[in-house]
Formats: sequence, C-alpha cells, structure tokens
Amino acid sequence: MNAPKGMLAPDEQGLLQEIMNIAFGQAAADLAEVVDLFLVLSIPEVRFLNAPDIPAALASAMEGEKRISLVEQAFWGHFKGSGYLVLPSGAARELVSLLGNTSPNKEIELPAKELEAGTLMEVGNILIGACVGKLAELLDDRVTYSPPLVTVEGDPLASLAKDVWAPETTAIVLKTLFRFHGRNVKGFLFLVTSQDSIDWLRTALAAFLGRYA
Amino acid sequence: MTRSVLIVDDSAVIRMFIKNYLREEGGFEIREAADGEQAVAAYREARPDLVFLDLTMPVMDGTMALGLIRELDPQAMVIVVTADIQGKSIQRVMELGAFTVLKKPPVKEKVLETLHQALAQLAVRG
Repeated sequence: MNAPKGMLAPDEQGLLQEIMNIAFGQAAADLAEVVDLFLVLSIPEVRFLNAPDIPAALASAMEGEKRISLVEQAFWGHFKGSGYLVLPSGAARELVSLLGNTSPNKEIELPAKELEAGTLMEVGNILIGACVGKLAELLDDRVTYSPPLVTVEGDPLASLAKDVWAPETTAIVLKTLFRFHGRNVKGFLFLVTSQDSIDWLRTALAAFLGRYA
Repeated sequence: MTRSVLIVDDSAVIRMFIKNYLREEGGFEIREAADGEQAVAAYREARPDLVFLDLTMPVMDGTMALGLIRELDPQAMVIVVTADIQGKSIQRVMELGAFTVLKKPPVKEKVLETLHQALAQLAVRG
C-alpha cells in the first residue's frame, strides 16, 4: 500500500470504502431499532477534495434541489472531521409523518418547523453517531462528538459553506446514498475528515487488515 | 472431497478475507464474482456447493441475485455476508432461502463455524 504522501493508495481507498459500508449498515440497523424506518443502502464513495470545493460537491449531490435540510455533527479522535446528513426539500416533513412525531396534546403542539428540526436532529444524531462510532470502533479509535446542528429547508450552498476547513487543506469525503423504503425520499450521509488524519488512517487500515486477513 | 465455493462481493478485501479463511481450512475450489449478475452467471455455469453472497453491490444487488440463484436451484446453499444488518433486510433474505446471515466484517471463527454447519447440511442431503 505505497502511495504518495497525502494520498491513499487504491487498495487503501477500497478498504476505507468497505469500512464505511459496514459502518453505515450499522447506522441503518440502529435507526431501524428506534423507529420503523427501513433504509435502502448503496455503495459508498471515497473522494479527495480541496476544502473550497467541499460545499459545492455536497450540494451537487442533491441534484439541483433548491432547498435542503441538513444535520451536521463534528467528531474528534485520531479520526476527526464532520458528519453531514443531507436531505432534500420536504424530507423533514416526511420524517415527521414517518416517525409519528406529533404532540399528543394539541394545546402544547410544537410549531411545524421546530418539530421538523427535532425529528431531523434525532435521525441525524443516530445515523451520524452510529456510523462514525462503528467506523472508529473498526479502526480501533475512540471519538467524541459535538451536539448536532440542524438546518431546515436552507439554501444548499449557504447551508454547507462552513469555515471549518482551512482553504489549503485537502479532505477525504466518504459519501453514502440511501433511500427510505417505500417513500420517494433519498438522502446522503457524508463524512468529511481532514487530511491531517491520513497518516493515522493508513496505520489503522493496515492494523484492520492484520486483524482479519 | 473437494467442495466448490463461490465468493461474491464487490469488495476485493472481503473476498480476500473469506478466500484466506477457506484456503487455511483447505479442500475448497474457489471462484469469485464482484456483483450479482456475475454471481448468477457463475452459479449457472459451475453450480458451486456453497455461495458466500454480499447484498449491497453494483449492477445487481445480492438480494436479487439470491432470488435468481434459488430459482435456478431451490437447494442452493447461500450464506449472506453483509453490512446491511437491518432486521427487514435479514428477514427478506431468509425468506428467499439464505442458509444464514453473517455480519461484516467476516470474522474467521464465525465464517468457519457457519461453513461447517452448511457442509454438514450438504452431507445429510448426500
């Protein structure tokens, strides 16, 4: 697995992709335990992007959606970065109806936007937390998390344009597409990790291989 | 007696893990496929004794491949090895006739234990 400094070799990328696949499968199963929500999973992608290109790349994944909902959660360990759950317009309302998150007492019913934000936060927290947690476990790391931040029906580029990445850095972007079974709603989970993690990541991937090969 | 095994996964790493476990065990003729379509074609051609099958794959997913393999051969012995451990996914492949479901990453002891259970069942069938 010899690659130029700052890059992962193709077989390391392939292994990282499979580990992301395993981690997201765990996240989907964790979500299904909490709510009756079945996700149709697809094959994850691993890409290297320059920091200034990240918001546009994440926004373009939503194929021209004018509004998106977003849950964002940072994590820190040897493996550090941010997780983003990105859903199209209307998905937050759909999730509220799927999860039956309506107040039993109409007099104290939450405003729709707050209900949508709360539901998104629940789902985002489970998916990002379980996915990052499993990934860290497989790579023998331990991470801590920031509280999730939620944007409901925001402009894609504005919602994703964060100043957390220094402009000169390169990031590793792990992307998984999923669909809610039986509903016309799809979403993406992105993990963006700074290339500062790359030396550790190489060692951790080699150790993972050593445990199973 | 040599048994034939088909390992199906789009991840070369996972195929390698399972292949290594089987090689250490010995007595297996191993074929590989990287998606569901290749798996069905390989099954049709070689009729392996046993299949290790991933679910989330390009071209044709493992659930569809399992259905087609079981149509070709209702006795096909298929062990699903997947990251998709949602209850409904597991229920679906068991309904389609999978022997069992192993979660990824495939651990050597678990793979070999399941392998021997499957082989014992094949031996009973004769």
